[in-house]
Amino acid sequence: MTDLAAPGAPASHQQPVRRRPTIPLGVALAIAWLIGMIVVALLADRITPYGVTAMDLKNRLALPGNTGHWLGTDELGRDVLSRLIASVRISLMIAFGATLISAFVGTLLGFLAAHLRGAFEQMVLMLADFQASMPFLIMALAVLAFFGSSLPTLIGLMGIYGWERYARISRGLAISAGQQGYAGAIRQLGATPARIYLRHILPNIASTLIVSMTLVFPEVILLESGLSFLGLGVQPPMTSLGNMVGYGREYLTRAPWIMLAPSLAIVVTTFAVSMLGDWLRDRLDPTLR
Amino acid sequence: MVYFILSRIARAVITVALVVTFAFVVLRLSGDPALMIMGPEAPPEVLAAFRSAWGLDLPIWQQYFSYFGAIAQGELGRSMRDGRPAIELVLERIPSTLALTLPALAMKVGIGLPAGIYAALHRGGPIDRLVMTLAVAGFTVPSFVLGLVLVLVFSVMLGWLPSGGQDSWRHAILPVLTLGIGGAAILARFTRSAMLEVLGQPYMRTALAKGVPWHVAIRSHALPNAAIPTVTIIGFMVGTLIAGAVVVESVFSWPGVGRLLVVAVANRDLAVVQCILLLVAATMVASNLLVDFLYGYLDPRLRTGARAGAH
Repeated sequence: MTDLAAPGAPASHQQPVRRRPTIPLGVALAIAWLIGMIVVALLADRITPYGVTAMDLKNRLALPGNTGHWLGTDELGRDVLSRLIASVRISLMIAFGATLISAFVGTLLGFLAAHLRGAFEQMVLMLADFQASMPFLIMALAVLAFFGSSLPTLIGLMGIYGWERYARISRGLAISAGQQGYAGAIRQLGATPARIYLRHILPNIASTLIVSMTLVFPEVILLESGLSFLGLGVQPPMTSLGNMVGYGREYLTRAPWIMLAPSLAIVVTTFAVSMLGDWLRDRLDPTLR
Repeated sequence: MVYFILSRIARAVITVALVVTFAFVVLRLSGDPALMIMGPEAPPEVLAAFRSAWGLDLPIWQQYFSYFGAIAQGELGRSMRDGRPAIELVLERIPSTLALTLPALAMKVGIGLPAGIYAALHRGGPIDRLVMTLAVAGFTVPSFVLGLVLVLVFSVMLGWLPSGGQDSWRHAILPVLTLGIGGAAILARFTRSAMLEVLGQPYMRTALAKGVPWHVAIRSHALPNAAIPTVTIIGFMVGTLIAGAVVVESVFSWPGVGRLLVVAVANRDLAVVQCILLLVAATMVASNLLVDFLYGYLDPRLRTGARAGAH
């Protein structure tokens, strides 16, 4: 039995060596933009020309393009570029944190459902259906009404978004992996369930999960910026991209750049992540829709 | 068929129960519900009456069931701000919201469906590429950005349309456009991929091979089959008629349910928030049910062999 299964296991475990693909120009640009955003977010403290709340009252509502303030200033004379950099950091932090939380929770629940089956599985599936059928924005607003908004609450709340997709995918793939030779072989060798799921099944389904993360990530950015735009997400003095758009809306006639700069950052970032995700999906996982 | 209908109704009931449970759990986690719903200035006898009405002096599992009972009787609390029943406040805002979301839905279906079908039938053509580009934009441009850019162009720069308020039908044009453009693009993309999948099916080749004219094959074989996934998306759009304009109403200062919700959340007017949450859940569940029954009508497989074809 073991002899029979053993040669099969490494074969399905190791992916055949792939040729290095040529990356399309659009995808390369998307990756470059995202790396740029991450670098900006990581170095935010070092590269902001001015403090986020520093006011330059002589230069209020300055036009973009002048030497002191590349992207102009707002009503209080705060540098738009500095605020933009700080906003990118907060928005990306929330989106990364939330995506990781929901991927972790969803995959864990999916694996548990696949392992335990029965009532637990039914409960997970029912919750997943429920989550998918309710508009998340309304649920999020309800939670914020009850608990108020703080950064940890916001990350935790966004972390609930999208878990059902990972749960469904990981449950389905874990069940089908359990029926394949390699998982059975390792079980026969006496591996614990945790080892089977984490060391053997997870690496095999990781690409599908990563593609799902690239689908959820931009949606989290849009959700957070929507909530912050409404004044119910990130609270001042912290600032996120949505906050900046919400604030800039007041000065739409006199200083549209306050609102256009963060809007452009949101649109280009979500576009870049979607583009990267589409490309990864075609490369890694042709079965996913 | 009976099994099919019953299973769908059971699912609807479970969803509503889960929403009520969600509201209950969140309400209990965040403090004394009597104070939360009635407000800190409420007189003690009112609080006591509320507690006994909602059974807050009972053990937690009994409270859970009496909470269900209270909601079933339509006791949804009063607004903290003016003491009026929350349900009244919400219901009087619904017409305003529908004045935006119904025309927007018509726009989504009226543009999205034909555009998606046309794009699929002329794959790779200029319209197809336009639809796909707009569909990506519809996903990546958030509604508040689109709305503000429309205001910037049509109100600030051109001065053609008002930027906010609800004084005449002209005030509705920009919010409806904001809601409709993104939705039309998403629907077009779904319709396109549903059509493309159907067009590649063997039964289409069979129909054409036996001499059925192209337009007849499209009309009587491709469209009905492509309708099934498309109906799902439209059903979801119908479900968001009440709650789908939260952000857009805020952008255009439109006094609908969404605006009410945002103000209620900012003021922590919990009775109103809870009422809207339940109303939205009811709408979503109702539209999901409608979609499921439409499935049964569109797809005979579901009627006859419900178990085999349902998923």
